[in-house]
Amino acid sequence: MTIAVALLAGALAVGWLVPGVLRRADLRRRDPLLLIVAWLISMAGVVLAAAAGVLLLLTPGHGAGAPLLVLIDRCWSAVQHGSPPRVEEFAGLLGLALLGAFAVRLVVVSIRGARRRARKRQENLSLLRLAARKETGPPDTLWLAHDRPLAFSMAGRPGVVVATEGLTRHLDDHAVAAVLTHEQAHLAGRHHLLVATADALRAALPFVPLFTQAPRAIRELAELAADTAAVRHCGPAAVRTALQKVSSHGAPSASLAMAQEAVDLRLARLRHGSVPPGGLRRAISCGITGVTAAALPFLAGAVLLLLITLVSCR
Amino acid sequence: MHGLGELEAAVMDVLWRTDEPMKVRDVLEQLDTGKQLAYTTVMTVLDNLHRKEWVERELHGKAYYYEASFSREEAAAQSLRDVLEASGDPEAVLMHFIASGSDKETDLLRSALRKKRVRRR
Repeated sequence: MTIAVALLAGALAVGWLVPGVLRRADLRRRDPLLLIVAWLISMAGVVLAAAAGVLLLLTPGHGAGAPLLVLIDRCWSAVQHGSPPRVEEFAGLLGLALLGAFAVRLVVVSIRGARRRARKRQENLSLLRLAARKETGPPDTLWLAHDRPLAFSMAGRPGVVVATEGLTRHLDDHAVAAVLTHEQAHLAGRHHLLVATADALRAALPFVPLFTQAPRAIRELAELAADTAAVRHCGPAAVRTALQKVSSHGAPSASLAMAQEAVDLRLARLRHGSVPPGGLRRAISCGITGVTAAALPFLAGAVLLLLITLVSCR
Repeated sequence: MHGLGELEAAVMDVLWRTDEPMKVRDVLEQLDTGKQLAYTTVMTVLDNLHRKEWVERELHGKAYYYEASFSREEAAAQSLRDVLEASGDPEAVLMHFIASGSDKETDLLRSALRKKRVRRR
């Protein structure tokens, strides 16, 4: 029981404390990909730790007990003067019910969201394909006869980049290339899927800060990651020119206004001029971050367990 | 389905490049899709576009004359409006990279977007 409770507490601690830590990361310097990994794997770790805790509650005798664990359990029992097993079973069943509800909700929310997005995307795409001139090449670019400089990417199989002809009229060639590379990086990095995953997790667990704050953070980080790719291919000057064309007024929708906030951050990052390492080094640091993030709830649980032991066995 | 969409786009492109209303035969001649298309295929595509209200047609003698219901620019504005509306659902469109222009431009865009499928002439 003690281990199970420690695991659940560890999951809770990570769910509440990690968002603050991640948000304090200096986005001008850190590799955005690393932080995306940290957010997503932390969420997975919390879910895993909570699931493990619930399953442990239900396992009689908690499987194989290492001597230390047995000792801790005994200490805790001594403090407790023994808790009747019924409580344990009851808590386990309640946890299992909650876990089941979470899993079902996650599945339902994901499927429903994916279907709705696919339908809307198909509608949008069929209209865009009719109206636009297509430039073939992976990925296809749909050029719209519109004077306002605008570009975005749409997920799908395959995804497409949509750009207006105004882009080529108002920006020089390098800046246009930077914009297109940025959008292509969204598609290549499957950023739409990452954002959708974070959204589904938030919808399934709307009360844990880690889950409520992740979607917005990941959206922002996805922009930074795409900028990184654009800088790598086209240089910081081109990306800066492209970004500076963004004016604070005249945003026609809420999503654009939100993008404006991120724009200041993106410009600050360009000024800072940090480009994350590529290739193996990046893969290794992402791996380390991922493992740490996944292990964090379990580590937190272990620390709690240790504290309990110290308190109860003194 | 996808192939049909490509054909529709190609046909619209032909109609937008020409100011005059066109017969099916004229459209077929102008089409540059890389492969030989049957007359009936083009007719079906034009029929579909007519049903979707993307083209208008008028009977002269025995043949229908087709023309686009709106300009390429209006079509672009219309499709952009649809996407921007959908981006209340932000996964659909991840990022609007650039939103430049003066207030006046934006107002122009707004009014252009409000006009839904206005006739060109």
